[in-house]
Amino acid sequence: MRVAFVGKGGAGKSSIAGVFARMLARQGARVLALDSDPMPGLAYSLGVPSQDAGIPADAVEEYEDDDGRRRYRLRSGLDPSAAIERYSTVSPDGVRFLQLGKARGVKGENSLSHQAYQLIVDSLSSDDWSVVGDLPGGTRQAFFGWGRFAQTVLVVAEPTPASVLTARRLARLALHSSAPRVLAVANKTRGEADVRYVERGTGLPVAGSVPYDETQRDADRRGVALLDLDADTPLVAAVASLVSSLSAEEALR
Amino acid sequence: MDSAADGVVIADFEAGLGTVIRMGDEPVDVVVLVTEPTVKSLEVARRAADLVHRQQLGRLVVTANRLRDDEDLSRVRAAFPGIEVVIIPDEPAIVAAERRGVAPFDAAPDSPGVRALVALADSLGPACSGRG
Repeated sequence: MRVAFVGKGGAGKSSIAGVFARMLARQGARVLALDSDPMPGLAYSLGVPSQDAGIPADAVEEYEDDDGRRRYRLRSGLDPSAAIERYSTVSPDGVRFLQLGKARGVKGENSLSHQAYQLIVDSLSSDDWSVVGDLPGGTRQAFFGWGRFAQTVLVVAEPTPASVLTARRLARLALHSSAPRVLAVANKTRGEADVRYVERGTGLPVAGSVPYDETQRDADRRGVALLDLDADTPLVAAVASLVSSLSAEEALR
Repeated sequence: MDSAADGVVIADFEAGLGTVIRMGDEPVDVVVLVTEPTVKSLEVARRAADLVHRQQLGRLVVTANRLRDDEDLSRVRAAFPGIEVVIIPDEPAIVAAERRGVAPFDAAPDSPGVRALVALADSLGPACSGRG
C-alpha cells in the first residue's frame, strides 16, 4: 500500500498519518513513513524524537548520462533499502521514518539531500514496503515530486468551508497527477452531517470519517504520539478501520 | 504602497517559514506570530521568531490561539520569554464560526478572543502610522 496524506494546514494530516502508519505496521506490513514537510510534524505523531537532519549530501553522486547531461544517483554501494536502513529512524511498532530534513532559516545548499530523498522514494519496490507519506499543507507540493510515490492520495478535510475548498483544489490537481485514485478523509467530524458535508464539498468519495477527539489535542500539547498516550480513543478506532478497509481493497486488486 | 497615508497592509502568510525567509530584507512594522499551545506549533513558531529577529523584520507579537487554561498560557510564555503575548481562548463560538464559514468578527464580536484582537489592532495603529 502506498498512500499520501494531503490537505490544508491544520486539517490533521500528520496526526492521522502517524496513527495510520503504526496501525498498518501492527497488521504486519513493513512500513516506511515519509515526511517531506520542512517543518516538524510527523515525528511527534509517530513517537520518535524530532530532529532536523535529513539525508546527507554524500548519499548521492553525480554522473553524466549518455547525452552528456548531469544526473544524480545513489552513491555506489547504496541501494534504496540500504539507504532506508541507514538514514531512517525506527519508530514504535517498527515503522521506518524517513524525512526530507527540517528548515530553521535561510536555506543552505540542500539540493543533494533532496535528490537523495527523491531517488530513494522513486526506487522503492511496492513488494518490499508499504509507504505512508505526510505532505506539507496546501497545494504547492502535493502532486509534484514528493507525492508521486502514492497509489492512493488521501485528502484530509475538516468540515469547514476553508478546509473543504482546499481539498477540492487538491482533488482537481490530482486529476492531472499520476495518482490512480484520490479519496477524502473527513476529520474532526461530529456527526454524519459533517461527513456528508465533506463528501459534497470535496466531490470525493469519503474513505473514512475520523471523529473529533479531545485526546488528540492532549497528545499534541504534550508532544507525544496519540497511540502512546491512549490507544483506546475514537480517532485510533477510526484510523484502524480506515487501514483495514484500504488493506482489504488492496488485497482484492 | 509607499507610505502609511496609503493605508494599512495586513498580509496572512502561509504556514511555516517559507514566506518569512523570502521576505529577505523587506521590513514590516509588526510580525504577528500565531501559535497554538502544542509542542509542534510552538517549535515551528520558535523557528519563525528566530528568523524574524535574525532578519530584523520588525517588532514581534506572539498570538497564542486556542488556549484552554493557565497551563497552556504557561507553555506559550515559556517558549517566548519577554515577548508580548496576545491571548485567544479556545472558544466554541469561534469554532462554530469557522465551521459555518463566517468571520469570527461578525459571528462573535464580543468573545474574549475577538476583543483581544481588536485591542491588538488598536495598539498597533500608532506603530503602523509611524512608517512612511
